Amino acid sequence: MKFVKFIISFLAAAGLTYVLNRPLGAVPALGRLFNPFEGFWQNGESKLALPPTNLQLDGVKEEVDIVFDDNRVPHVFAKNDHDAYFTQGYLMARDRLWQMEFYTLAASGRLSEVVGERALELDRYSRRMGMADAAKKVYENGKTNKIFDEVLNAYAAGVNAYIKQLKYKNLPVEYKIIGYQPEEWSPYKTILMMMNMRNVLNGGSDDFRMSNALSKYGMDVVKDLFPNYPSNESPIIPTGTKWNFTPVQVPAVPAQTTATLSTSEDVAFDVPQHSPEIGSNNWAVGGEKSATGLPILANDPHLQLTLPSIWYQMQLCTPTMNVYGACLPGAPGVVIGFNKDVAWGVTNVGSDVMDFYQIKFKDNTKKEYWYNGAWKATSMRVEEFVVKGRSESLKDTVFSTHHGPIVYNSASDKNINQNVPVGHAMRWVALEKEGTDLMAFYYLNRAKNYDDYRKALSYYVAPAQNFVFASNQNDISITPNGKLPLKWKEQGKFIMDGSNPAHDWQGWIPVDQNPTVKNPSRGFVSSANQFSTDPTYPYYLGWRFAPSERAIRINERLEKMQKATVDSLRMLQNDNFNVEARRILPVLMKILNADSTETNNPAYQALAKWNMKNDANEVGATIFERWIKELRYIVFEDEFPMKDLNSPMTYPSRNRMWDMVVNEPTAKWFDDVSTKNKQETLQDVVKHSFKASIDSLTLKHGSMSPENWAWNKVKSTDINHLGRLPGFGRQDIPNGGGAGIVNATTELNGPSWRMVVQLDKGWPKAYGLYPGGQSGNPASPFYDNMIDKWAKGELNELLFMKSKDDKSSRILGTVKIIKK
Amino acid sequence: MTYIIILIVSAVAQYFLPWWVIAPIAFAICAWKSKTAFGAYAAAAGAIATLWVGYAFYLNFNNDGIMLHKIAGLFSENIKFLKILPETPTFFVIMAIIGSQVAGLSAMAGYYFRQFFK
Repeated sequence: MKFVKFIISFLAAAGLTYVLNRPLGAVPALGRLFNPFEGFWQNGESKLALPPTNLQLDGVKEEVDIVFDDNRVPHVFAKNDHDAYFTQGYLMARDRLWQMEFYTLAASGRLSEVVGERALELDRYSRRMGMADAAKKVYENGKTNKIFDEVLNAYAAGVNAYIKQLKYKNLPVEYKIIGYQPEEWSPYKTILMMMNMRNVLNGGSDDFRMSNALSKYGMDVVKDLFPNYPSNESPIIPTGTKWNFTPVQVPAVPAQTTATLSTSEDVAFDVPQHSPEIGSNNWAVGGEKSATGLPILANDPHLQLTLPSIWYQMQLCTPTMNVYGACLPGAPGVVIGFNKDVAWGVTNVGSDVMDFYQIKFKDNTKKEYWYNGAWKATSMRVEEFVVKGRSESLKDTVFSTHHGPIVYNSASDKNINQNVPVGHAMRWVALEKEGTDLMAFYYLNRAKNYDDYRKALSYYVAPAQNFVFASNQNDISITPNGKLPLKWKEQGKFIMDGSNPAHDWQGWIPVDQNPTVKNPSRGFVSSANQFSTDPTYPYYLGWRFAPSERAIRINERLEKMQKATVDSLRMLQNDNFNVEARRILPVLMKILNADSTETNNPAYQALAKWNMKNDANEVGATIFERWIKELRYIVFEDEFPMKDLNSPMTYPSRNRMWDMVVNEPTAKWFDDVSTKNKQETLQDVVKHSFKASIDSLTLKHGSMSPENWAWNKVKSTDINHLGRLPGFGRQDIPNGGGAGIVNATTELNGPSWRMVVQLDKGWPKAYGLYPGGQSGNPASPFYDNMIDKWAKGELNELLFMKSKDDKSSRILGTVKIIKK
Repeated sequence: MTYIIILIVSAVAQYFLPWWVIAPIAFAICAWKSKTAFGAYAAAAGAIATLWVGYAFYLNFNNDGIMLHKIAGLFSENIKFLKILPETPTFFVIMAIIGSQVAGLSAMAGYYFRQFFK
């Protein structure tokens, strides 16, 4: 009996302990997570905590001083570059380790190792894209550059110095919740991190959708509805700028410009649409337009906002540089920032750098494909997926052609007649193997003048960016820059023929012939992801860039601006004026009020009174935004279905639609093809979409009132946790803006960093913040402390120190790293 | 007395060793000290509950409850009924139950182990 009692109680105790020490499905190990000695309680950063005392670390060559300011920004003062990058790695790991590693797992298609089955499709996609493979080769090629190799290794050593001393109780809380451990960092992982950026900014394509439109409507319609240059544009390089170079020979347009096989098959992979909306703004005003007589530069890159924040602020000071700015966790150096003499910023170039080729295989083994009149061998690699919760790993075979990997595998078995297996190969600039992108930032961090800026840009590959620049020698400049394929006109607008050598990418635009402008007569430079140039530029870059409204607004305000100050540029970053409404709302209202019953509608009256600003409390903005979305849907979804699974297409641009509304009111596209015996007119669809908008707003938000329908409430900006952990993000942030607004804050995207730098002969003055905080720890007061200020459109003055001995009331303390 | 010993030994041990060390500690100390099964259970469960709640209270206070609030948000998104319970007490109770049951059951096992050899 005693024995039984012992056995029962022993088994109960041991069993309970065992169960609580193991994750159960998605539930983390509760004993480990809840106990206060190791679990989540340990991540609660103490409000009493002083900066830690001095650190003794193996890996620094000399003593390093880190000054922390009141926003928890580290100012690193090192006696050599190695130590600066080592310290940067250490500090970023301390504040952002989980986030850094998460990006690398995503880019290399390994998320399912830590989160299980639900990330498998995403992983398969990333693996097929081949980012991990490319990252390895980029590092192999890049490390022949000694500086590049040293910087990456110093940074990795710093990250690893932090990882090495981590115990379970100090792990970032996400590791505890999801239940895994950080791996060692390496230069390869930094490249993976950059691959992630290439994917976010360059990883979309409309080719398949455009081919579908082409096969359904023919070339004339496509040319009409999807033109290569919009009717209203304000390009980055001002119209009339001379091209100071002799262009190289552009490949001739081949007789056949698209794939010849049927394109109507199902695709196994859904490549995201080209999304130039993930845009950004930057500009610089020259001395003649500024109050100080020297340039002022502004930049706000728009990305999907997440917590921990995308950016990390830092100052790095060594004998070769003293630079401050926004850094990317996982990468050494400053990406957007300034030093004593210069400032720079970036926005994305929306050029077409991802193309698809239809591939005809010899047989189902896919070992050979038809190219230039002969069978050519594919290469093959097997991707292995270790999936959490699965005992056996999964395998996926990826074939590659000389174009690139087969990403689409069409369901060719459904296409019995043809009996030729068809696949789609991808050519993508992100897979270019020489990639010393980080060297561009390395040199920008140390730049003293315009020439240094030009030299730095020559190192940059992808994702192509509009690099804006200003110096205290009163130079301003902007350069859409990166490796840009040399294409024939419209090359890659549709899926191309993978067997035709004329369809290959045939070289690159010489880097010194990338569009650029220095000190233009208008006194400012700017970009908002619009077309890089007008059609006089001798090379074809792409047919679809971001809609031009932000650019138009920025340029017309800068045009008028005199005696600009930091505050005038800050206010421009927060400009909520709706250029599209100015253009089209009067036209739409006129159509609507032809019927007098509409004018009594309170929604109509709200629109009539609206000041055309997407301010937080405007009801007009809510109705207008909803209305044009609805209108576009009603006009085009019947003919160009976006969500059609078999044959998805894309809508003509909004600009093209407004041209149609104004100039071609009887166009056949206004008719709803699903109503057989009825011919809808422009008037019908305008009225119908207006009513539908009011109905859907009422349904979702209640009856119209200034509270229920306030723009910020309907738009409802959310900044979610990067790993989608509920409760770890911030929801319903009150602010205005919108997709085509200079203040491009939407439901999930927005200015991920806002910076304004006033250059000076002596010492620059700079302002900036991002929607989040320096710490990646969800339990830190510095996790999201800048969000409220960001939502209000305010900026923090940035503390840019001359030396470690600078005095400031904003300095909280200094930590030394001492050689062990 | 058993209660105090378990509390102190566990506090020290958990600084160096994983959380489940409370199980062998409760087992050993109650095998040595306890007079009844219930006494063993109560002393160990009470000691760990006190220790965990006390330490967590200290950490939570210093952090203004930010961490607890985030964890509560995470759990209640998946287990909806948690939303209707008061956040802070609920999570302290969950923690106390986890710790005290592991310690209490181990203590009983320790007590019976000793009885078995008597």
